Amino acid sequence: MTSRAFGWMGQCIPFRDGETVASALETAGVYTLGADALGQETRYFCGIGACQCCLVRIDGVVREACITPARSEMTVETMEVRRD
Amino acid sequence: MIDPEVIVIGGGPAGIAAAIEVAGCGYAVEVVEQRDSLGGAIHRQPIKGVAPISQASGPKARWRALSDDFASARIPVRYRSIFLGVDADGLVLFENRLACSVERLQAKAVIVATGAVEKVLPRPGWHMAKVSTAGGLQVMMKETGRAPKGRVLLAGNGPLLIAVTAQMARLGNPPVAIVEAGDPLGRTGAGFSMLGHMSLVREAFGYLRTIYLRGIPWMRASQLTAIERDDTSLIAVVRRANGREQRIPVDRIGLHDGIRPNDFALPNEKATSVAGPVILRAGDCRESLGAFAAEADGRRAGRAVAEILSGGHERADLGCVKIERARRAQEVLSTLFAPVGGACPISSLPADTILCRCEGKTVGDLRSLCERADRLTGREIKHNGRFAMGLCQGRFCAANTAALMAEIWPQAPAPVAEDLTGRRWPIRPVSIAALTGARATSTEHE
Repeated sequence: MTSRAFGWMGQCIPFRDGETVASALETAGVYTLGADALGQETRYFCGIGACQCCLVRIDGVVREACITPARSEMTVETMEVRRD
Repeated sequence: MIDPEVIVIGGGPAGIAAAIEVAGCGYAVEVVEQRDSLGGAIHRQPIKGVAPISQASGPKARWRALSDDFASARIPVRYRSIFLGVDADGLVLFENRLACSVERLQAKAVIVATGAVEKVLPRPGWHMAKVSTAGGLQVMMKETGRAPKGRVLLAGNGPLLIAVTAQMARLGNPPVAIVEAGDPLGRTGAGFSMLGHMSLVREAFGYLRTIYLRGIPWMRASQLTAIERDDTSLIAVVRRANGREQRIPVDRIGLHDGIRPNDFALPNEKATSVAGPVILRAGDCRESLGAFAAEADGRRAGRAVAEILSGGHERADLGCVKIERARRAQEVLSTLFAPVGGACPISSLPADTILCRCEGKTVGDLRSLCERADRLTGREIKHNGRFAMGLCQGRFCAANTAALMAEIWPQAPAPVAEDLTGRRWPIRPVSIAALTGARATSTEHE
């Protein structure tokens, strides 16, 4: 099994081939995905892309962590990190 | 590339079965799937090198047969594509997540098979980190082959909780307890009716056997009344059948209060291809009866679309027997698992309990909106109070908000989730930049 990693807020998060960003973060012990626009903490919740509680910025684009496959070249950040 | 004649939204059992039927009738069909593998939530595929999670033999065999049929039909799949809706010109819009663009397809028919979402009743603290749906924990287990870590508590209502428990146990980390609002063992009448559905009985027996052998507490007729936290743990506050309160420190909580159709903002069904495509729904997004019925309903929808496109009429009787049987099984299950003492009224929750997580709106916020002399409609509750206004588009709060409105105004006709959500695309959030850059995926219709 190949093991690779993506960037998350200055950390290196290892993941297994085919794994989603959400499950790699969970395996690494990351349970809070930062604050949303209202300042509420976000987290993995429904696992099927419906609840929008696990939104993160992947290379600057807002995506649901639970349905996005991890890639080693990715930079994943909380929604609070703005890049404009 | 030529636009397909029929587009199927969703690669779960209903969508796959529908696509196979349509292709078998000679129409060009494509499947649009949000993930990069088929199966839906029920048959979420494990990542490379991970053994599939243990599953009852019947469902496992049915999925294997279905995916084999699908593979031999050579039906194209657009993976990582999110269905956004059908626009005023009848074009099917979806976001291609690989290309970061919104694409449009012209089709004669669309079969929508977007599955179910879990019902989650509001409880103080349900919005906190480390609280997920039980189904959310389950799909992650199916994907990774690992149980959620630490002390996990599952709570709510219904048979999914015991299924997730058994799967966690087999992966080496059983939950510390299951908090179940119903008392299925205390309902012998409904228990006998289960004997008419032997495959369900066998499946349930398998789960209960694991739970019994491992000594996992199955707290029936009990409610998770609140979730609190201290420096290190979540605290599950549980009211047991005898009325006593118990505080259980845990690391992770999985909530589940049943399932409902994921039909939010979906286009209405339309049985003609005049002025836009035929639109039919299939599977759990039409009526949430589980995978067995979803497959039968997918076949029904697929054949119905082929009938309509060939100039015939939709025949309502297709596939009815299996669906009716599944409906009866679900009725027996909901009687068996009916919450003891009835459903807990939402109006009994503390005012600061979050009802709408996306917008941070509480039970108290809704109460004050409802105190006005002029009674607000569901739509006004959304626009004035921002309930069901957020990114999930009401998937997790609209029904609960409507239920609380009904409790506050017992004399008025009971509002339903759709009164708040309405029915308009895009059915999922999409960036305006991607939307305004929408392009046709083929040159044929330009």
